[in-house]
Formats: sequence, C-alpha cells, structure tokens
Amino acid sequence: MKKDDAEREPIKAAQARLVGNAQTVLRVDVPVVVDLDRCIQGCRVCIDSCPVDCLAHDPATGKAHMRFDECWYCLACELDCPKDAITVKIPFLLR
Amino acid sequence: MSTDILELEADVVVVGGGSAGSTAALEAQRRLPEGRVILLEKAHVKRSGAIAIGMDGLNNAIIPGHATPEQYVKEITIANDGIVNQKAVLAYANRSFAMIEELDRWGVKFQKRENGDFDVKKVHHQGSYVLPMPEGYDLKKILTRRIRRAGIRVENRVMGTRLLVDRGRVAGVIGLDVRDGGFAVVRARAVILCCGASGRLGLPASGYLYGTYENPANAGDGYAMAYHAGAELTGIECFQINPLIKDYNGPACAYVTGPLGGHTVNARGHRFIESDYWSGQMMLELYRELTSASGPVYLKLDHLAPETISEIERVLHRTERPSRGRFHAGRDHGYATDRVEMHISEIGLCSGHSASGVWVNERGETTLPGLYAAGDMACVPHNYLLGAMTYGTICAENAVAYAAGVDEPRVDRDAVEVERERVFAPLARPRGIPHQQFEYKVRRLVNDYLQPPKSAHRMEVGLAAFLRAREELAEVGAASPHELMRVQEASFIRDCAEMAARASLHRTESRWGLYHHRLDYPEMDDERWFVHVNLRKNADGEMEAIERPVEPYVVRLDDDERGAYGRLRIPAPASAPQELP
Repeated sequence: MKKDDAEREPIKAAQARLVGNAQTVLRVDVPVVVDLDRCIQGCRVCIDSCPVDCLAHDPATGKAHMRFDECWYCLACELDCPKDAITVKIPFLLR
Repeated sequence: MSTDILELEADVVVVGGGSAGSTAALEAQRRLPEGRVILLEKAHVKRSGAIAIGMDGLNNAIIPGHATPEQYVKEITIANDGIVNQKAVLAYANRSFAMIEELDRWGVKFQKRENGDFDVKKVHHQGSYVLPMPEGYDLKKILTRRIRRAGIRVENRVMGTRLLVDRGRVAGVIGLDVRDGGFAVVRARAVILCCGASGRLGLPASGYLYGTYENPANAGDGYAMAYHAGAELTGIECFQINPLIKDYNGPACAYVTGPLGGHTVNARGHRFIESDYWSGQMMLELYRELTSASGPVYLKLDHLAPETISEIERVLHRTERPSRGRFHAGRDHGYATDRVEMHISEIGLCSGHSASGVWVNERGETTLPGLYAAGDMACVPHNYLLGAMTYGTICAENAVAYAAGVDEPRVDRDAVEVERERVFAPLARPRGIPHQQFEYKVRRLVNDYLQPPKSAHRMEVGLAAFLRAREELAEVGAASPHELMRVQEASFIRDCAEMAARASLHRTESRWGLYHHRLDYPEMDDERWFVHVNLRKNADGEMEAIERPVEPYVVRLDDDERGAYGRLRIPAPASAPQELP
C-alpha cells in the first residue's frame, strides 16, 4: 500500500460503514411457466393456491406469472389450474 | 396499499390454517356455534401448512389390536432419550384413534385390509404405528370443505406478527395482510397458535432459499410470536434433521417404501441401520455413514418387483411431494435402475419430527394464560400429522372452556402502535438491504455454526452473528406488502437461530443422537441433564435458558428398554472391503 493509500484507507473504511446503498437487478430463471394461450385473464385460482404467494397477475397481460423466485415446487398451482396452463419445473439449482 | 386497521373480536382465534389449525378451528366452532371463532392464515386454507398437497400416511397411529397408548408412550420416551412430558404424549395417544375414526368419517381414505381393518405397518424400532394413506392427496381438500361448511370466519393472506398481552394473559393477535398491506388487530380471549415448524432455518445444500423440507411458508412464526409474548419454549436444542433426497430435499420416504421392501444402504450396497424410523440416533448413524468412506447413502428399491415399484411411484409421485417423480425423470433416474441418493438435511425446529417447540402440557396450554399451541410448533415429541390434528382438537376444547371463564381482555393501544411501526418500518427503506440477502446470510451462518456436530466455540461465534443480525434488520428494506411479509419472516428466522444457539450452548452434554451431538461434551449425562431446557424472554427483554424437571413418568420403562434406540447399527460385514457397485 502506498503512503497516500494508507492515509486514505481509514477514511474509506469509515465511509463504507455509512454510505448509502447501490443496487442492481438480477435475472433469474424461475420454475413456474404459464402458457399464456391457455391462462384465463383475470382468473385467480393459482394465485390463491400458492402457499408461498409467489404468483401474481402480470399487469402487462392480466394473466398469472411467477413474480417472485420463491417456489416450493409443490405443484399446487399446476394441479389446481382449470386450464392446464401451468408447468412447474424443478428449480434449476436442484435439477 | 391499505392504511386501514381491520379490528376484529373473537372468543377464540386460531393462527395458521394447516393440519392443527384446521381441526382447532373446527372443534372451537363446534363447541361455540354462536360464538366468535376466527382463523387467520398467511396463505390460503385450501393449500396451506405442511401438508398443502396431502400426505401419504399417518406415522403414529395407535390402533387397537396393533398398539396401545402405553406402548406408544414408551416408544416415544425411548426414541427421545427420556426427555418427554409423558402426560402430553399420553393425551395424544389416548385420543389418536378417535381422531382417525373422525377422519375416516370425513372421507379421508386410509389403507384397509379386505375385512375392513386398518392396514397398519411397522416402521418404528419397536411397535407398529404406520397407517398408509395412498390417496392422501385429498386430505387438505376435505379439511377445507369442512371449514367452509362449518361457517368459520377465515381471513386468508393475513400473517400473525405478534401476540397481544394484557396483564399476564393473552389478549389477541396482530397481523399483516400480505396482499394489500392492511393491519389487523384481533382481540381474543384465547389464542391457538398453529403456525407450523421453523422450517426455513438452515440453508439447503442446493442454496435455494425455498428448497426446504418443510413448506417454506413455515418460517418459525409461531416460535417467535410465543417467545415475544413471554411463553416458554423447550427442547429447541433437539433440532430437526431429516434424511432427504439429495438436492430435491424431500423425504426419501422409508415410511412408504420400508413396508414394501425398500431400505437404506451405503455406497457398497450394505444395510447399516436396522430401523428407518427418524430418530436422532438413526440420523447419527446416517451421518457417520455419509461421512465415512462408505458414503454416500442411498434408498434402495432396485431389487423390488416391477409392480411394487409402480405402487411406490403411484403413492410417492402423487402425495406429499408430487414433483418428486419429475425430479427423478429430469435426471433420467428410475427406481428400478437407480438408487436414490440421500443426504442429511439442514437444521430446522419442529416437534412434529423431533422435540423443539413451544412448551405445552396435556391440555395444549403454554405458560402464558389463554395461549395454546398445537402441531409442529408445540412440543409434544414426534407428534407428526395425526398429533397436530389431535392436539388441534385438544387445544380448542380447552381454549373454549378457558374463554368462557374470563372477561374481555384489553387491547394495549400503545403496543399496537409500536407493532405497527415495527412491521411497516422497512417501507421507509425501499432501497434497503433486500430480504433475500439478509435471510441468506442468517441461514448460511446457521449452517456454518449450528449444524451438528456442535461445539461451544463455534456456537458462540454463531450467537454473536445472530445478535449482530438483529441490528442489521434495521437496514433491511421493503417496497410492497409481499416484501414486508418476507422481512417479518426473516426476523422470525433470526429469532429461531438465536434460540437454537442459546439452547444448544446451555445443554453441555450430548443427547438425541445427531440432533444434539456436541463434540466438546460427547457423552449423555443423565445425572446432570435429565431436565428440559426451556427458553424465555427475561425482564431485560433478552433470551435466557432455564431448566425444568422431567415430570415423573406415567408409563414406567424397564431398564433394558431404555437403550433400544442406541442399538440401531448393523455391524459391517467382517469380510475385506468390497468393490463399489
């Protein structure tokens, strides 16, 4: 470490404890895949079934999608869907 | 987002609509047809709790002609190394058959013989208690239908966050609507907590936060709520650790496959345990085998007849965890050709499988008047599904009687305001630390420092990290009601991590096989440690460990029976090391 760096480090270390947050967006492959041709607009069956509440209406389509990567791969959504529009894959990390 | 406060009044409020909560609400409503029974459920009752998708059998059915309540109490006392409140286990055992008959009347399909008798199987080390339910996928539907028919008021998607307390008794529950962000205050004379296990405690080896054995909605909510209200918890150091399918993290299911000829083998293809019943001692033998040159460990079915394999697939791929077949298919594995690799799971807290939970007696009462607990979160060791349902009924019976004898509790408005600020605080930090990162870190530290075998030095480091995590919670942010739910769950998980560390540090001996295997105190010490270790919040608001004596047994054990679960290992063959298959 150069002398300048040595003087600078305590200042940066103190700053690192106080500075605000910076964030990015992560692209994630999710297990629940909805067939938009089959899914009924406005239907809530799978959204109500999900025990971890990870499904929601996609505002862009009005149809269901997996909004949060929080799936127990339990198949409740797939089993309860009246249109067989849902396929649950085993999450990639487990596959 | 809603800014209203939903104010509700109840005689009995049940928190959690899984197996225990469903029977608790049904029994309370039956006894109070004109009364006010409310069921809060953070998911939706139609698919919630540990058996959201059903169950393939009852693991602890005490059926006349096959077992007696006294035999069962003995078996559980021995399997749990003596530290049980036998009266609580006996209360379950005495009522378990009546519960089965009730479920039978409700239309739950149990396996029966041609003459109509229940077809009981032997899986435990000593007695026969396993009753298959090959069509158990209907169980949750049947319970939900009965709840609807009974006219019980159900509030779906409302998660309890804290209990209300009034002059030393419970006064209700505070909840968050996880969809619209509304805030619910339910004043109640009696509260029955049925919030399930602390199943999101350790981090699965896959690294997937929701790839847990338990339904990940069961984040230890009830453990945290009971603790913060002043109730005692017990047996927390007796962790839940399960032998699971590696990566998939669902049960390998020796309970289903065992009676059909399946069994656990090591990499050499040899059996090494006599009984596949999940006890701490069995888990220790599995751990030893896994970490030896004979690991990994497998469930072996490839010796079975094709029709037997079809039957196993029919049960295992349709109930409890039906995506299991998809997991195997994705790797081109089949039971006829491939053994199922198993491993030791991450830790959790769950009295349904081991003994860690809120302290309850044979009436389901906690140490806080008016507060009852049932199911995986209430300590009646090895209670499983049928225990949850039976204790739901027991709690409701006693809660209704209690509620009839007390006046309306007062709601402490200041406490409600404090809780509202606490729950919604993360909304002020929409760019705070995301809940996933906070949760991942706490759970990774649980693995690093609490996963057995345990030692004081490691657990002290872990405890310091969990106390630091309490401060870090103030940095976690949320931008929606959904994220508020996850932040709350993260706080429950942190609370449970601290409990797991403190209780394990307190008991300076080894007990329950792998569940509390301490490298620094490797021996079981009945002279010093034949006690319950309980946790509670002390006057300074900190967590403390205390000891409670084990009540005199109501079912006596013979000396030669005590060590039965210590004799599970099958000696290795004497021949020279063999070729791996």
